[in-house]
Amino acid sequence: MGVLMEVRDLVTRFYTQEGTVYAVNGVSYDLQEGETLGIVGESGSGKSVHALSIMGLIPQPPGKIESGSVMFQGRDLLKLSRDQMRLVRGAEIAMIFQDPMTSLNPVLKIGTQLTEGLKLHLGMTQSQAENRAAELLDMVGIPDARKRLDAYPHQFSGGMRQRVMIAIGLSCNPKLLIADEPTTALDVTIQAQIIELIKQLKEELGMAIIWITHDLGVVAGIADTLQVMYGGMILERGPIKAVMHNPHNAYTLGLMNSLPRLDEDGNRRLQQIEGSPPDMRIEPVGDPFAPRNPYATERCFKERPPLRQVEGSAEGHLVAAWYDLPAVLKAEAAQNG
Amino acid sequence: MDSVVGSKVMQQQEQTQNEDREVILSVRGLKKHFPITAGIVIQRQVGAVKAVDGVDFDVYKGETLGLVGESGCGKSTTGRTILQLYRPTAGSVVFEGKELTTMRGNELRQMRRRMQIIFQDPFASLNPRMTVGNIVSEPLLVHNVMSKNERKEYVSHLLEKVGLNPFYINRYPHEFSGGQRQRIGIARALALNPSFIVADEPISALDVSIQAQVVNLLEDLQQELNLTYLFIAHDLSMVRHICDRVAVMYLGKVVEIGPTNLVYDNPLHPYTQALLSAVPVPDPEVEEKRRRIILTGDVPSPANPPQGCNFSTRCPVSFDLCYQEPDPPLIEAEPGHFVACHRVL
Ligand SMILES: Nc1ncnc2c1ncn2[C@@H]1O[C@H](COP(=O)(O)OP(=O)(O)OP(=O)(O)O)[C@@H](O)[C@H]1O
Ligand SMILES: Nc1ncnc2c1ncn2[C@@H]1O[C@H](COP(=O)(O)OP(=O)(O)OP(=O)(O)O)[C@@H](O)[C@H]1O
Ligand SMILES: [Mg+2]
Ligand SMILES: [Mg+2]
Repeated sequence: MGVLMEVRDLVTRFYTQEGTVYAVNGVSYDLQEGETLGIVGESGSGKSVHALSIMGLIPQPPGKIESGSVMFQGRDLLKLSRDQMRLVRGAEIAMIFQDPMTSLNPVLKIGTQLTEGLKLHLGMTQSQAENRAAELLDMVGIPDARKRLDAYPHQFSGGMRQRVMIAIGLSCNPKLLIADEPTTALDVTIQAQIIELIKQLKEELGMAIIWITHDLGVVAGIADTLQVMYGGMILERGPIKAVMHNPHNAYTLGLMNSLPRLDEDGNRRLQQIEGSPPDMRIEPVGDPFAPRNPYATERCFKERPPLRQVEGSAEGHLVAAWYDLPAVLKAEAAQNG
Repeated sequence: MDSVVGSKVMQQQEQTQNEDREVILSVRGLKKHFPITAGIVIQRQVGAVKAVDGVDFDVYKGETLGLVGESGCGKSTTGRTILQLYRPTAGSVVFEGKELTTMRGNELRQMRRRMQIIFQDPFASLNPRMTVGNIVSEPLLVHNVMSKNERKEYVSHLLEKVGLNPFYINRYPHEFSGGQRQRIGIARALALNPSFIVADEPISALDVSIQAQVVNLLEDLQQELNLTYLFIAHDLSMVRHICDRVAVMYLGKVVEIGPTNLVYDNPLHPYTQALLSAVPVPDPEVEEKRRRIILTGDVPSPANPPQGCNFSTRCPVSFDLCYQEPDPPLIEAEPGHFVACHRVL
């Protein structure tokens, strides 16, 4: 399998009345064809803005993509015109959002919203598009699909609307599906339905997926690769088992330790990460997690750590840290006896 | 489901089981129906949202009882109706030995000092035009306790207790982060020295890295002040961590209740089984082996619940009885562990 997308040095800022928001501060990674990449991180860490930057959906102004490139099938998406980008969206890259109500048009029938893209991107006739639309609704598990084409979004439940969004997203066989917290607003039983559906569709259609979430449990179930973001940067990424079982960044470790688990009875005190997330209006210097990191060194406050391969771990397990987490933990354990 | 030990009526059994533990709150047959009205000029009632539709449970002094279930199943309404923020349609709420549902005026106000609520949204629940000091001391003012100087000193003490620097007493809510605002909400709830707190999704709006801070704080305060919590939450992993017992709600009713470890390790109601199986675990190796019970369909509307058992429309193991008989009652399947399901009867 080859590389589908190369993101390099992406920097996105917002120039607002309250000052500059340093939302994405140099993000680089490769996404393989058919790969499922899970992105987790604190609220405000730039996960959504990074995805919107790739999709050409940043409102400009106040937003501005300051630098970087996104090579997708031989073209730099950041250099495409608005019209060219519109063709890429939907046909080659699809995106689904947290709240399907904001992305579905409330006054258009579900059928119309599905057939639009099929006609625009795949050049289908009205009746071809309608047939395909019914097939798609059926595929995402909406009963009585053909009759439901005439329904309006408000006549569907939250879970059904998210299924419709998935059907629209996948209607043109995209190479990449970006899902930004697609299940966060849903109940766990409905979330389980949607995750199962996406896994099954991925098996059939083979697209790559970027799944953005704050739920480490969700990514554990679906992602091949995990990417941990903080302060608009990637602090750690790699094969999911390597990152979760052998974290090398103090933030990743802190997140894992602060979570209670369903399969663990409740006697352990949760380890808390002290302090609060960074103010994104301050230009980051050094490691953005340093102020909350008990293992931070002087260098962490001054100089930004580059992403480097973790020695002895799986290929592609990268960490940005000036400290050597396993070594520090070992020393700490020795000290405590 | 042959792990069933016996079946006795809930009340009877509870008395024998838990004689040694003091019941602080006793809820029986609690209902809260919201009217649905139609008509433009003359409003007439055309139906009712049965938000809470016959709930029974006891809460023991010093424990944390979790209340879980999907969105709209009536968790918040249950919490508010217990506190008499909503007046119940039917049923009884006995708190520290006194019936609340018939209490009015000053008597009810006095009781309210003993019961407080912490809300989900630390952004919406604090008045943006009041300083932190005024927010936290407002309940003291309303109930007219302490002099001005005493109040100030006491508020500083409360802020310290919840891990905020008293130095911030004159600042406004917008100057604080989400976790800090939730601490302010907790300080306000503690001001009148309550014995019972309804925490309605107190951490749902917070970042994962902040949730543990607030949960640890709630646990510490419980220890120190011997507080009793009703902890309403979506996050079933957190509920297992923080709660001694858990009640699972579906469409306005409790379908299963018991000690947390019993319910999590041996869920008896098919809804609880599906709910727990749907919760992801942050471990790729565990997830690979998990088997999920995927429920089909959506939760029915509480304005129009199903004919038979409330869960019959989505239940993977329903049979004739479930469609013919009314909702099954809670019965005790193992000591302290109650379930409402025809399969278990
Ligand atoms: N249109 C905008 N104007 C100004 N600032 C913005 C805008 N959109 C996002 N930001 C800011 O950019 C930063 C990154 O936001 P982003 O939405 O990417 O976070 P996120 O990681 O997706 O968080 P969440 O988990 O809450 O969705 C935040 O500080 C946010 O306030
Ligand atoms: N003031 C009200 N008037 C009318 N209906 C209401 C009112 N409050 C709640 N409801 C309805 O009662 C039902 C139960 O709502 P409730 O808020 O108690 O659910 P919940 O379990 O707390 O859900 P969530 O997890 O989303 O907070 C829902 O159908 C809701 O729409
Ligand atoms: Mg986001
Ligand atoms: Mg609620």
